[in-house]
Amino acid sequence: MENQHLPSDFFPIVLQFIVAAGFVVTTMVATHILGPKRKSKIKLETFECGIESQGNARVPFSIKYFLVAILFVLFDVEVIFMYPWAVNFKSLGINGIIEMFIFMVLFLTGFMYIIKKGALKWE
Amino acid sequence: MTTLIILSALGLVVLFSEIFGYKKIVLPFIFAGLVAALAASFIDWNIGKHYLNEMMIVDNYSIAFTVLMIAITIVWFIISPGFFRDQGSRVDHFALIIFALIGAQLLTSFGNMIMLFLAVEILSIPMYILAGSNKSNLASNEAALKYFLMGAFATGFLLFGIALIYGQTGSFNLQQISEALTTQQDGGGVMAVAGVLLIMVGLFFKVSAAPFHFWAPDVYTGAPTEITAFMSTVVKTAAFAGFFRLFATCFSASASIWVNTIMVVSALTIIVGNITAVYQTSFKRMLAYSSIAHAGYMLMAIISLNGYAQQSILFYAVAYSVSSIAAFGILLAVSHITKNDDVASFNGLAKKNPLLAFVTLLAMLSLAGIPPMAGFFAKYYIFTAALQQHYTWLVLIAVLGSLIGVFYYFRVIIALFKNENSAAEIPMTGIYKAALLFISLVALVFGIMPGLLAGLL
Repeated sequence: MENQHLPSDFFPIVLQFIVAAGFVVTTMVATHILGPKRKSKIKLETFECGIESQGNARVPFSIKYFLVAILFVLFDVEVIFMYPWAVNFKSLGINGIIEMFIFMVLFLTGFMYIIKKGALKWE
Repeated sequence: MTTLIILSALGLVVLFSEIFGYKKIVLPFIFAGLVAALAASFIDWNIGKHYLNEMMIVDNYSIAFTVLMIAITIVWFIISPGFFRDQGSRVDHFALIIFALIGAQLLTSFGNMIMLFLAVEILSIPMYILAGSNKSNLASNEAALKYFLMGAFATGFLLFGIALIYGQTGSFNLQQISEALTTQQDGGGVMAVAGVLLIMVGLFFKVSAAPFHFWAPDVYTGAPTEITAFMSTVVKTAAFAGFFRLFATCFSASASIWVNTIMVVSALTIIVGNITAVYQTSFKRMLAYSSIAHAGYMLMAIISLNGYAQQSILFYAVAYSVSSIAAFGILLAVSHITKNDDVASFNGLAKKNPLLAFVTLLAMLSLAGIPPMAGFFAKYYIFTAALQQHYTWLVLIAVLGSLIGVFYYFRVIIALFKNENSAAEIPMTGIYKAALLFISLVALVFGIMPGLLAGLL
C-alpha cells in the first residue's frame, strides 16, 4: 500500500481549517464594522419569524415533543440505509435481500416496541 | 458468533416480554438463554475464527473473557432478584443488561477499529440509562448524567484517535494497522503517536484510571447497587479485555510511544485509588475506589508485553470480578435491611449471619490479595509479568498500594466480628445463599489451585 504520507500532504486540510475559521472571523468583523447601527426597542427584540415574541423561552414544556422528534430522527436515519441497498440491489443478490430483511425485521420490532409502550400517545 | 446471536435474540425476547405478557416466565428464560450462550462460546475454543471480513476475531482469549462475563451476568441475575420489582419497566432493565453484555462480548473479540467503537458504544449506552434507573433518586440521576457526559467525551477522544490512526495507516483492520505501524519509518510519525495517545485517553476514561477517574466514585455511588455491581465487574472486565487486545497486540510494534505513559498512569491509579479508599465510610464508595485501584494493577499487565501478560490479566479479571460481585451481593443483602451502604452496617454480622460473614471474609481477603484466595495469585502473576520487564519501581508502588488496600479491606472484616449492635438475621433465599457461597468458593479454589486457570491461554 502507498502509505508514505508526509505531514506536508495534509497541508490542504490545514488550509481548509484556516479558510473556515477565517471566513467566520472575517464576516463577523466585517458586518460589525460595515453595518449601520440603529438601536431601537423593536430592533433589539428577539426575531421570531416576524411574529411578536411572547414571554420567556425558558419554561418547562412537554417531553412528548422530544420523544416524537427523536424517534422520527432515529427512523429517518435507519431508512437511509435502504438507499445503498436499492442502488446495489442486483449486485447484492439474494444475500443482500436476506440481510436487509433481517435489518428491517429488527427495525420493525423497534417500531412495534415504541407503539406498544405508548411512546407515540399524545395524551 | 453463535453466542452473539443467542444473546441478541435473548435481549429482544426479554424486551418484548412485557408487551406480549410473558413477563412472569422471563427470568427462567433469561437463565436458559445465558446458559445456552455460555455453552455456545466453547464452540470455537482452540479453533480461532474470523467473522465478517475480520470484523470479529474469536480466539481463546476472547472466549475466556466472554465465558467469564456471561458467568458473572448469570450470578448477577441471581443476586438481584428484587431488582426494580416495584417498577413497571423491570424487564426493560433486564434487556438493557443483556444488550450491555453483547457490547462487552464484542469488546473482547473485535478485529477492527469500527467494531471497537461500536462495542464501546453498545456497552456504554445501556449503562448510561441503567445508572439512572432509580428515577426518583437524585443521586442516581446525577450519576447517569455524569456518566453520560464523561462517557460521550471519552468516546470523542477515542474516535479522534481512531481517525488519526486511519489517516496514517489507511486501514481500520487491526492486523493491517499493526503491519503498517511496523513497516513505516519512525513507527508512523506524529500522527500515529497522537492517534495512539488519544485512543489511550478514551480507554483510560472507560476503565477509570487516574487522572481520568473522577466520574467513577460518584457514578458508582449514585447508581443503584445492582447496577454498580454490574459496572464494576462485567463492564470493567470488558473494558480491560478490549484495552489489552488493542494495545498488547495491535500497537505492540509502537510500544515505545505508550509504555511510559501507561506506567505512570498505572502507578498514579494505584496510589490515588488505594489512598482515597482508606478515607471512605461508605462500603459502596470504598468499593468504587478499590475498583479504581484494581484498574491500576490491571494496567500493569498491559505494559508487560510478554507471554505472561495475557494469562495474568485473565486471572486478575476472574479473581477481581468474582470477589467484587460477591462483595456487592453481600452489600445488597445487608443494605436491604439496614437501608444504608456504610461499613458500619456490617458491625457484628458474624453472630447472626455466619454464612454472610464467611462470604464477606473470603471476598475481602481475595480483594486484598491474601494468600489462600485467588486475589493473591492474580497479583502475583501481574507482578511477575511486570518484573520480567524490569518495572521494579512500579511493582514496588503496587506492593505498597496493596498494603494500604489490606488496611481498608480489613476494616470491613473487623466490623464483621465486632461485638456491638449485631444486625438482625438477614432473610435470603436459598439460591441467593448458594450463589454467594459458590462464587466465594470459586475465588478460593482458584487461589488454592491457580494452575486451573493460569495455563489456559
